[in-house]
Order: sequence, then C-alpha cells, then structure tokens
Amino acid sequence: MKQPPYHMRQNKAVDRLMFIEVIKRLDKIGSLSEYTYYGLGGPYLEEFRLLYEFFPDIEMVSIEKNAEIVKRADFHMPCGKLRLEYADSRDFLIHYDPKDKKSIFWLDYTNLSMHTFEDFQTLLPKVTANSIIKLTLRAEPRDYKNEDDRISFRRKFEAFMPDSIVYPPVEFEKLAALLQEMLQIASQQILPAINELVFQPMASFYYTDGDGMFTLTGIVCERNQWDNIRNHFGDLPFSNFNWNKPKSIDLPYLSTKERLYLERHLPFNGDPGEGLLNILGYSIDEDRSKSIAKFRQYADFHRYFPYFIKAIP
Amino acid sequence: MSVLHKVGRQVKYEPVEASPVKSFFVSMLTRDIKLEEAILDLLDNCVDGILRSPKRKNQEKPFAGFKADIVFNKDLFMITDNCGGIPWNLHEYAFRMGRSSDRPEDAPGTVGVYGIGMKRAIFKMGKDCLISTRNGTDRYEVEIKPEWIADETNWKIPVNAARKTMGEDGTEIVIGDLYAGISSRFGEDVKAFKAELERMVATHYAFIIDKGFTVRINGDIVKQYPTRLVFSKQSQGKEAHAIRPFIFKATTEDGVEIFVTVGFTRPIPSLDEIENEQDERQYSSIDAGWTIICNDRAVVYCDRSELTGWGEAGVPRYHNQFIAISGIVEFKSDDASKLPTTTTKRGIDASSPLYLQIKNKMREGMRLFTDYTNKWKTRADESKKQISAGKLLSLDEIKVEAESLPFAATKRTIPQGDQYRPELPMPKQLEPHNRRISFIKGVDEIKCVSKYLFDDDEKEPSIVGEKCFDLILREARK
Repeated sequence: MKQPPYHMRQNKAVDRLMFIEVIKRLDKIGSLSEYTYYGLGGPYLEEFRLLYEFFPDIEMVSIEKNAEIVKRADFHMPCGKLRLEYADSRDFLIHYDPKDKKSIFWLDYTNLSMHTFEDFQTLLPKVTANSIIKLTLRAEPRDYKNEDDRISFRRKFEAFMPDSIVYPPVEFEKLAALLQEMLQIASQQILPAINELVFQPMASFYYTDGDGMFTLTGIVCERNQWDNIRNHFGDLPFSNFNWNKPKSIDLPYLSTKERLYLERHLPFNGDPGEGLLNILGYSIDEDRSKSIAKFRQYADFHRYFPYFIKAIP
Repeated sequence: MSVLHKVGRQVKYEPVEASPVKSFFVSMLTRDIKLEEAILDLLDNCVDGILRSPKRKNQEKPFAGFKADIVFNKDLFMITDNCGGIPWNLHEYAFRMGRSSDRPEDAPGTVGVYGIGMKRAIFKMGKDCLISTRNGTDRYEVEIKPEWIADETNWKIPVNAARKTMGEDGTEIVIGDLYAGISSRFGEDVKAFKAELERMVATHYAFIIDKGFTVRINGDIVKQYPTRLVFSKQSQGKEAHAIRPFIFKATTEDGVEIFVTVGFTRPIPSLDEIENEQDERQYSSIDAGWTIICNDRAVVYCDRSELTGWGEAGVPRYHNQFIAISGIVEFKSDDASKLPTTTTKRGIDASSPLYLQIKNKMREGMRLFTDYTNKWKTRADESKKQISAGKLLSLDEIKVEAESLPFAATKRTIPQGDQYRPELPMPKQLEPHNRRISFIKGVDEIKCVSKYLFDDDEKEPSIVGEKCFDLILREARK
C-alpha cells in the first residue's frame, strides 16, 4: 500500500508549524485542556506527534477509514492521549457531538470535491464557540487545463462561486484565492450575520510539494467576541484576519551548510531577498528574480523550516 | 374606536374604520418576498422602462446599450439605470400602493401588474429612500423618510424637481437607514449575498442579458448562462433519426404566444456515472429541468418537480439519470396579466388553465427524452456519439432552425398549435443484447486484482471487473 511520505514535505511541514502557532495562542482565550484535537493523521500520525510535543494536555482523535492504515497508525502511536477512530470522515462529522467541549479540527484532504464543502458546512454549526477549523484542499491548476474540466468545476461548485464569470484560474495564486472565497461563501451561508457565531479566518497559505494545496485556518467564535479574540492573536505570524489573499509557502532547497551560513544574517534589515542573494553571491533558482523570491520565503519561514538529515538507524 | 356604544340597553351601530394601515403595508408586504427577489423586482422595472423607451432599435439585441448598476454595502443600497425613467403620467402608478383600475395603458410586454414591486423592495430594505428620475423633460425626485412611514394618516409623498443632474433618461433609487438584518447581509455576509444575487440575476435574466442588457453588481458585470439544447443537423444515414429537441408553438385567442422546447443539453450519463453520483454528490447545482420564461424573464429555473410535470402522468420522477434533459417554455404577451405568473413574478401559477394545458405538451416532449435515456443508458457510449454530433443552440437559434422543420398542426388536441416531434435514434434491438453484471468487492481486494492485471492498483473497478470476465470467458471458450 503506497503512502506518500508526508513527513518529508518541507512546505507542508512549515504549514503544520504555522498551525501550531495558532493553537499555542488558544490558551489566551481559555485552557488548552478544554480542547480535543481531531485530524486525519494517516499512517504516520505526524501532526499528532508534533502536537503531543507542544501540547501534552490535549486529547487527540485521528480519523481513518482504511482498516490497514488504522493498524499501521496504531503501530506509530506517539502517546497515550491519542485515540484512533475507524470511520469515514463524513460519517464521523455527522455523528460528532462536542458535548460542550471545544474542538480543533484539521480536515486535511488531498483532493477537491463537494465533500470538502459539505464537511465544512456540516461542522460549522456543530462546534462550540472558540473552536478551530483548519481545512486543506487540493488547489492544482493543471487539473483545469482543458475547457471541459473548467466547465465541470463551475458546474460542480456553482453554489459557492463568488460571481457569474469566474472559472478556475490557471495561476496557482489565483486558484488558491478563489478557493478561499468559496470557503468564505460556504461559511457565510451556514453562519450568516444574524447568527451569534461567526467563522473568522486566522491564516491561509498555498504551497506545493508536488501537488498544489490551499489551507485555511479559522475560528468559530461569538460575533461580538471577535475583536477581543483578534487582540489575543495579534502576534500570530502571517495572520490573515480579513479574508485577504492567502500567502505562499514556497521554500527553497538549500543545503545545511547554506542555511547555517544564512541564518546568522537573519532577521535581515531591509529586503532579505536581495540581501541574502548578495550574501550567498549566487542564484539558487532559474533566474535572479526567482532566487530573490525564494530568499524572501526563506527569511520569512526559516524558523519553521525543518532539517531533513540523512541518518542510518 | 369602539364600534358599539351602549345607549341604555340599545346598541348604536357606527361605520367601521377600514382605511389601510400604512405599517401593515410596510411590514407585511415585505415578509413574503426574499431580499434577492425584491431586488429582481427593481430590475423588472428597469426592463419595463426599456420596453417603453423609443431608443430601442436593434432587433437582434433589443436591450443593447441599456444597463443597471446595483451597488450595496452595510450603509446603503443603490440601483441606477439608463432605462428611460418613470414618465410623469405613470407617477401615480409608480408610487401608489397597488395598481388602480384607471391607470393609463402601458407599453406592450411590461410585466408590472400589481403596482407593488418598487415599494415592496424599498420597504424591505430601509426607512429612507430617494428616487430620482429623468424621462424626457420630466425630471423629478421622490423622497420617502422614516417620519412618513411612521405617520399613519399621511399617504401623500412629496414630489420635487430633481436636484441631481442625470446625463440620460433613467432612474436612480438610493435606500438608506437600512434595517439591521439587511445591513448585515450587505456588509458582513456580502460575499455570500452577492454570489446568490448574481446567480439569480444570471439565471432569471439570462434571456434579457443575452439580448444586450447589462447588469453590474458592485462593479462586476453579470454573465448569463442560458440553456442550450443539442440540435443535430447531420443526417446520420437517415435524416429522420437525429438528436433534436421537441418543439411546440401556439398563440392563444387572447394573444399569448407560447413556445415549448425540450431536449438534451449533454450526453446521457452511463450507469457507472449514475452510480458514482449517488456515491459522491458531484454537483452543487444541476442545470437540468424546466425553465419557464414570461416576457423574457425566467420565472422558474431548472425545475425538476411535479410543478413542471416530472413524476406525473407517465413521466418518471426526476432522477440523476435524467441530468441531460432540459426544457424551456416561453410565454409572451403584450398584456402581462395574461401570463401565468404568481404575484411575485418569480413563480408560475400552477393552477392557471393556460399553464395546465401547456404542461401536457411539456410532459409529451419530456417523455421522448426520458424514454430515449432509458433505452440507451446501457449503451451510453453509442448514445454519446449521437448526442455529441449535434450543436448546442440557444432558444433564439432553435427558433431560427425551427422555421425549416416539418411541423404538424395539433388541431384536435388542446392546446391547439404546431409541433415538431423529433425521431430520436432507437437501438437496433429493443431488448439490449448486453446485460450488466455488477458486484461489490472490498477496495483493497479490487486494488490487489488491479495491480495483478494492470500493474497499477488505481484502475477503475469496472475495468478490473470486465478484464476478469474477459479472461474467464476466453478460458471458457477454449
């Protein structure tokens, strides 16, 4: 059974740590022990390992519909706070009852389908106030290269389309922005302004480790509490509280030697793109402008950038 | 005031106060209509304005050059058009609650019948409104203030010469002091609300936009998606057998023109596709079903219920296997009161005798295509070739093609008219010589066999199953 090595994906690894930054700040609006974390941990349970490292008090549930993967996940169980739930995620959400407990959900899909939106809309009215929902979905522009696929996308997601003209754009950045708009519409359909609860975005990114992905993290909170909550999350790195365009995570491939050399110059005073290029003295991508963009990414995310080191067990 | 005054043991009867209560109009009239529909009422007024306008010249695109700009935010709603303005001789109608019987005759085709659309839309949204209009030399404005709404006795609205200079004939309506629920839909929920309004304009005004009318919502031009039906011109050996829509056309004695057409918008789905659709819902909305147009406005869009004949009188209930079937009914009349619409103009009067007659034709046409779908669903690949051979034509294009089709008069049935029944291709053998085999196996087991047969564990289950059968068949025939 083939399973992609999620733990080796550097951009996703950064996204995972950005999520940790959100969870870290939850203790400013309540106790972390009030939360249960729900995720689709797959066979390696990577995010759960990380969560336990940072937040040993949180109860955790990994949902998995494949019996063999459940066995493999059981083998990788990182701690005693995690429960494996053998269920389809849709069925799980239908039967999910928070019983007044706060939840943190990461619905980490590898595809883009109506289920993505339906699951989101199922969950929104069920979670208690101050629960967190993170969605990751496929945002791969090459899926929409031909006319039929673009028409099919429009037909499929008509109910969440922001206007009557839009088709899935071929630019990654714009496709991610469109998916964010569609999720915003989906959230407003379920929690309109007359509702006491609202879904507020906190961070959104797009990245590729092979296939393009978009990810949005937000909080379901009482509408009149949002300003207060936002203040507590004011220092969240790369926050997106106003449905602004999602930020790219596109880290360069650098050797350990290059990284250690650059790190002593960080944080950089001025434009780190030009600055780090000059310090290293050579391009690291196809051309100068792409190299500058990559160095900027490195400066932005270097603190969250994992080291993948070859080891012989 | 008490109706009864007891004078000793006698009761004195006095006249009852039956004058209308303004707050009733303001609060009750607005309850029965969705906000999006109230805004469509304002667009209807724009289109009625165009029909009155002498500027309309282009026959093919009669609404070209006319536009309506809708802008809203948490503080105000505004609609500005260049559709001719409100003629002074219609001002009583435009601002009065309801239509008086002595109203001057309007231009042919206008849909305003009840005289409530604009007022209802205004009262739905807010308490403060300024309407400025220019029609030729008539340039005036009407202001409705919260105090006027609160005053139960004053039914007169002051009219003043326009302070605002308008570049061309048209109307501007600005509504402020929005109700809290409306303000939040235009503010916090603006994404979802704009998307929904745009979808409704795109569908209900598809045919008007197609004829040149431009609608902007918060700066974005609305694009229409009119239904297009497959029309095959190819003979495919025999001229008679080709995928074409069913058409019925008639004119009633009181002058209502009717055009009914139903056909395919795309290839019919295969059994696998139908099964997958049940397993994973593929679409958030489906463009199958009936659209009913009254004087160019779609009053029903893609209906798949009994309202349009599905699931009654021999027509099967709508099911995903009929996703390729769409129909359009068009009613046209210079006198809008003859059209079978509801008071909201966003629905069909299901009990209208005219509509009930036409529904017979809708069902008759629809059955040709449900029958075709049932006959060909096990041979979807062959059917796809037939359907893909045709071109997708809009309603107007179908009307042009219809001129050269062999219509037959339906004089002995009601309604009387002319109809074209396409001879759809039929399978050579009525009983399919193929049978479907289906069975359920575990995902991991299918992947295992797929890997064994194709060195790829991601092949479609149907392909894996078919290959297994072919292998055993070869063995069995040895």
